[in-house]
Amino acid sequence: MAEATYKILVVDDEVDLQPLMLQRMRRDIRSGRYSFVFAHNGIEALEMLNEDDSIDMVLSDINMPQMDGLTLLEQIPTVDPNIKSVIVSAYGDMKNIRTAMNRGAFDFVTKPLDFADLRITIERTLAHLTEWRAALASRDQLVSLQRELDVASKMQKSILPTRFPKRDDYEVFAHMEPARNVGGDFYDIIQLDGGRLGLCIADVSDKGVPAALFMMSSRTLLKGASIGCDNPGDVLREVNDLLRETNDTEMFVTLLYGIFDPATGDFTYANGGHNEPLLVNPDGGSSLIPRTGGIILGVMAGMEFADNTVNIAPGETLFLYTDGVSEAMNVTAEEFGMERLATIFANTPPSDAEETTMSVFKAVHAFAGETPQSDDITCLTLHRSEAGN
Amino acid sequence: MMEVTSERRGTTVIINTAGRVDGSNASDFQDALEANIGADDTAVILNLAALDYISSAGLRIILLSAKNLRQRDVGFSICSLSSSVHELFIISGFDQIIAIHSSPETALAAQS
Repeated sequence: MAEATYKILVVDDEVDLQPLMLQRMRRDIRSGRYSFVFAHNGIEALEMLNEDDSIDMVLSDINMPQMDGLTLLEQIPTVDPNIKSVIVSAYGDMKNIRTAMNRGAFDFVTKPLDFADLRITIERTLAHLTEWRAALASRDQLVSLQRELDVASKMQKSILPTRFPKRDDYEVFAHMEPARNVGGDFYDIIQLDGGRLGLCIADVSDKGVPAALFMMSSRTLLKGASIGCDNPGDVLREVNDLLRETNDTEMFVTLLYGIFDPATGDFTYANGGHNEPLLVNPDGGSSLIPRTGGIILGVMAGMEFADNTVNIAPGETLFLYTDGVSEAMNVTAEEFGMERLATIFANTPPSDAEETTMSVFKAVHAFAGETPQSDDITCLTLHRSEAGN
Repeated sequence: MMEVTSERRGTTVIINTAGRVDGSNASDFQDALEANIGADDTAVILNLAALDYISSAGLRIILLSAKNLRQRDVGFSICSLSSSVHELFIISGFDQIIAIHSSPETALAAQS
């Protein structure tokens, strides 16, 4: 591969320098390594820099008419902050050399020019320039990736319901806090016919972008499967089989889906490997709802999922959560655990779905302290009112 | 945090995993499993007796290994699960697709 040609602007009021430079650097010019352009003072140099954006570096004398090299140094960044400059000074002129370095010169050489030394200086400058440009490109890439992640994060948040049913007989509230920009947890609240409500909580086996993509497709498949289906086990079976069709990366999702009937308080659910929700009675006592033995979704096609029904009596609360709650760690690597969760409800029996949900987040944050959040945290609370019927 | 060692019984390799497997070392766990399985092994027994904790990221690696080995017609089972790890296998439903034994001996007996 041919090496790139670097264009060097030489600025000097001595007319003899141009033929001398071309002669002494002729090998590098012929090989295509360097090309030179010449200006005779700072003003001319700035004009050339303005017109020609292919100039990579400037080699400038200090004492010149109209605009000297030190002034030129100050002006170059306004044209292109990424051009590197090398200054040519009189031997021993430390004062000007210091001024030039302070104004951003990359290096200096002294008169009379030693061309072997000049070549080393140019090569060093160009090597630095190449690294500098690579770093800039990486930074730009990072910035653009960050922007894409921000958009992805917004998209993901926007598909999670933020308006929740709040009625006389029952109310629902849910909240998700991802550990990174984008997460693998999700919840959904789906209006079904007959005033029934589909509730879902899920946790994808990883974090970050791959998890977010898998989460998006899981959530879409669930929504499609849940409409018009009265049997949560059938919904999970369909989602599982569809996830398996296109799952080469062996990602999986734990997912609990249930249908709440406000008329009776019955909650019929199937569980694909997710943490069992808590049923909290009006006194704050809580217990896990029974297992249904379903496997995590996305692992193997053709699996069956059993249903179960629990009754949520008036005044009772169903609390769905992901392991970001139970496995949140504090500074001593202790887990938040189920007991602490039960204690929250025991101390303050739930009466308001939003308050209950946010009180769990508050307790987890207080427990974790300075420990960075390692997993997405999601909670969904369904509270059936005491007076409800 | 995590230590993987192995021992051979004929063409069966018993891989012992100790410590914690979570999102931070799941890919190391995968590499360690692969490194300990020989081309001529006909069965793999994953001994989790000294495993304190495994997250879903770790479960995924076990699942991946189980599937890869099944494709190569190599037997795969796990044994000696602590009650909390066993609990996780039951909740996740992985006990339905991966053979679980109480000890390396019973796992070995099942291979033959």
